[in-house]
Amino acid sequence: MAVRTTFGSTPGSAWINEHRKWVLAAPALVFVGALVVIPIIYTVVLSLTDARGSILSEFSFIGLENYAAVLSDTARFWPAAWRTFAYTTVALSLQMSLGLAIALLLRRPFRGQGIVRVIILLPVVATPVAVGMMWQLILEPNIGVANHLLESIGLPRGSFLGSQSTALVTLAIIDAWQWTPMVTLILLAGLSTLPEEPDEAARVDGATAWQRFRFITFPLLRPTFFAALALRAVDALKSFDVLYAIKGPGGGSYHEAETLNIYAYSLNFSHNNYGIAATVLTLFVALTLALVTLLIFRRKEVRP
Amino acid sequence: MKRQTRFRNVAAAVSVAVLTAGVVGCSSGGGGSNRTLQVYMGNHGFTEQVQANIEAFEESTGIDVEISVYGEEQLSDQYTVQLNAGSDDIDVMMFRPLQEARLYWENGWLEDLEPHASTATDWDLSDFQPGPIDALTFDGALTSIPVSTERAVLYYRADLLAEQGIAVPTTFEELADAAAAIEAAHDDVVGYVARGNAHGAVPIFSAFLYSHGGDWVDAEGNAALDTPEAIAAYETYGGLLRDYGPSSGLADIQWDSAMALFTQGKAAFYIDADSLATNAIDPSSSTIVDSVAFAPLPAGPAGSRTFNIPNYALGISAYSSAKDEAWAFIEYFTSKESTKQFQLNAIPGARVSVWLDDEALAGFPPTLAAAIAESLDGVGRDRPAVARASEAREIVGRPLLTVLEAGDTAAAAQEANRAFQQLLDEVQD
Amino acid sequence: MSSVPHARPARRQPARARAYTVFRFCAIGVVVVTILGPLLWMILAALKDNVDIFNSSRIFSFAPTLKNFVTVFAEESFLDFIVNSLLVGAVSTVISLAVALPASYSISRFVMRRSKTFVLVARIMPAVSLLVPWYFLFSRMGIVGSYTVLVITHMFVSVPLMIYILVGFFDGLPLELEESGQVDGLTPIGAFLRISVPLSMPGVATACILAFIFSWNNFLFALVLASNSTRTLPLSLYNFVRYASVDWGGLMAASVVITTPIIVIALFLQRYIVAGLAAGATKG
Repeated sequence: MAVRTTFGSTPGSAWINEHRKWVLAAPALVFVGALVVIPIIYTVVLSLTDARGSILSEFSFIGLENYAAVLSDTARFWPAAWRTFAYTTVALSLQMSLGLAIALLLRRPFRGQGIVRVIILLPVVATPVAVGMMWQLILEPNIGVANHLLESIGLPRGSFLGSQSTALVTLAIIDAWQWTPMVTLILLAGLSTLPEEPDEAARVDGATAWQRFRFITFPLLRPTFFAALALRAVDALKSFDVLYAIKGPGGGSYHEAETLNIYAYSLNFSHNNYGIAATVLTLFVALTLALVTLLIFRRKEVRP
Repeated sequence: MKRQTRFRNVAAAVSVAVLTAGVVGCSSGGGGSNRTLQVYMGNHGFTEQVQANIEAFEESTGIDVEISVYGEEQLSDQYTVQLNAGSDDIDVMMFRPLQEARLYWENGWLEDLEPHASTATDWDLSDFQPGPIDALTFDGALTSIPVSTERAVLYYRADLLAEQGIAVPTTFEELADAAAAIEAAHDDVVGYVARGNAHGAVPIFSAFLYSHGGDWVDAEGNAALDTPEAIAAYETYGGLLRDYGPSSGLADIQWDSAMALFTQGKAAFYIDADSLATNAIDPSSSTIVDSVAFAPLPAGPAGSRTFNIPNYALGISAYSSAKDEAWAFIEYFTSKESTKQFQLNAIPGARVSVWLDDEALAGFPPTLAAAIAESLDGVGRDRPAVARASEAREIVGRPLLTVLEAGDTAAAAQEANRAFQQLLDEVQD
Repeated sequence: MSSVPHARPARRQPARARAYTVFRFCAIGVVVVTILGPLLWMILAALKDNVDIFNSSRIFSFAPTLKNFVTVFAEESFLDFIVNSLLVGAVSTVISLAVALPASYSISRFVMRRSKTFVLVARIMPAVSLLVPWYFLFSRMGIVGSYTVLVITHMFVSVPLMIYILVGFFDGLPLELEESGQVDGLTPIGAFLRISVPLSMPGVATACILAFIFSWNNFLFALVLASNSTRTLPLSLYNFVRYASVDWGGLMAASVVITTPIIVIALFLQRYIVAGLAAGATKG
């Protein structure tokens, strides 16, 4: 496989090759940095003020007063934080486990696999706003299709989104319905690069499918799995479109679907309380960052 | 080999893409020679009428207009983002006066229309209903012109009433009795439906509040949610829904679910705004077109007092650089001629003279026209009149949930009153 | 070059293998039904009058109508929406890939954990905190309403997404292949370009599909930063949510129309994933 290369003979390329670590990474990092720095500064600064109504009107710096107010707010902030955690946990457990299971199912080639792959893409492709409205219609307790079907096979009617206690879980399941295929897709791509020899050797040695999965496949798949987990964790934590489409601002009458992101949106666009909104957002980002960094730094990357 | 070529092709494609994006980016988005009037409007019947007549306006005034239409919430979000940045991309803005006028005015986002309005003699400011105009005037400044109004009315199933031999209810007690009778006679029909979502129900609840002799604040401007009248109003509104409404999901019912239930023939009575009537009389969205009828709001102890509010109004952005042209637009589409024309297309306007005109109600179905005619003398607001309208709405709507759960209404009302008073105090500072 | 011929114990395996095959097809069937069920309802709803949508006894027995689709296409400039979405999606995906692919490789090979975390922060920032400062910045730059601003903001979403997918992917790619390439005379960057990149096709195709999808469905950025001439498809959905009526049929029809082009593109990109699978089997 001797390929003639044109690099290495020009003057600059030696420098590029030596510093390739940063040369390759720089464009992405600079781009992301430039765009994210301003909002971060803006948000943090605002969280130290009492800005409301219009940003262009006068406001004063009040130090950490907002933080004190928010962190002691047991009526809206802490319940929202708890809901965010609960929602994310349920949604993530469902999608990661189901996503993995489905990826394993679809791994080996079979007839019609192209079509099936495209079909499972559908929930991910569908616009979240449309998905939210569709489920809202289907799960409507009084005239929706879901209860109609349940009744026709003799099961009791459910209140799904209409009941305070079941709304959040129902929403998490809808989230899983929509995003499990994305996990599957990422894992399938990861599975496709795994070498087959270890697996074959184990099979010859008489290992069961579960043993093969646990000791060979999954360890090799781990980097991809945790990449997918990190991605989905961040997205689930800041879930917005479906929740907003179904429950509207405020997360429903009892705030039953009010996660931190929805709460911050409400503060920003309905109450126009920019100071408190920025505080909630800063806390949210800090919390999320801490959680996800734990995920990244605790795992030692496994190299094949 | 193939991969090498493919990589080169991708690189070429990327360069082309970047160049194209650059060129296209520079050329589009702005920079016409003649400044076009930027009008932002919501998804509403009034907007459709404006769009249908925009060419006539452009021809007669020579002003080019670009209308951007957004959904209700999206329009508000747009204003928040753009006006917070002081953008001059907005000239004429359509917004929900009772939700946003005071807020936008205090933010300094609206132009005072008083100078324009008082000098437009033909256009005639005094022809507008005093209620809406008052609601839109702060510190002597007229912030916007109302373009469309609504009132609370009773939607009912004439066939079900006739079947039971019941007359159209004129009081809330009669309504309760009628709902009970019809529900007893039919398995799959509930007696009554209305908005149950705490936030969404507040406007309709306001009509109940006024009809019981209550109000959001008392004469001194203090919170009045814990008065006997207010508590009675909460009980009536929530009680009807709890006792004669659907069996579950009450706190989630927004107007579109309530309307869907009613138009599928599953409810006998429904109280909501008359602006939503099209849903019930359009065959493509309603199964009960032939049996639906309308009546004025039933009376409470203090009579039948609905709200009569402007649901949308037109204003001029304070950052606009085309304010005179913007006024020309507003003047044209809120003139007597335009209002009358729109009213014939079932857009209820805010002009007294148009309502007095014999032809004014021709665009509405007969029972609806009659119900509207009796409701014109309504209260000019359907929610607390504060800048922080959203927060206030959440507070005053909470006791409704307690009633739906058959809890202690008085306690809930007192709690809400406390919170509301606190908000009022904060706003005063 | 297929797999090594295995010596299997003869009798036991075929029965078990067959049972597994049956189970597998049943499981796949269940997955497909769970996914298609609600979407099928959506398609049916797109063909109904609003009055039939709420009528549960009319799930299948109704008089179909194309009225909703007519409404969707008759909405002024719907075709413009499609063109805008395609343009912004394609350009932002391609540029994002050009930027993210080298970065992912570097982050993976050099275990740049801090950079990885930094990129993640970009993804964590909720849209709410981005909208106003960006609007401020971009309107000062004068590019609000142009395709440029849409591409830039969509890239902001795509680049971290792609980096995460590709880093996980590169982490699983064995080093020996590049090292053998370097033994053969390639520079490290040459090895990257000629060996790692081609092998990353399944990951690249996956990252591209997902990035394009996110761009296609992006609502908030387009809402605030696009002008009438650059508006993208998701905004059109709210045209059906009016003050006094919600056109559910139109909404569902619009959703179907919005989803279709992506399915076509996904079908097209699918082949690269499958091709990558075959290529993966031939390495070594």
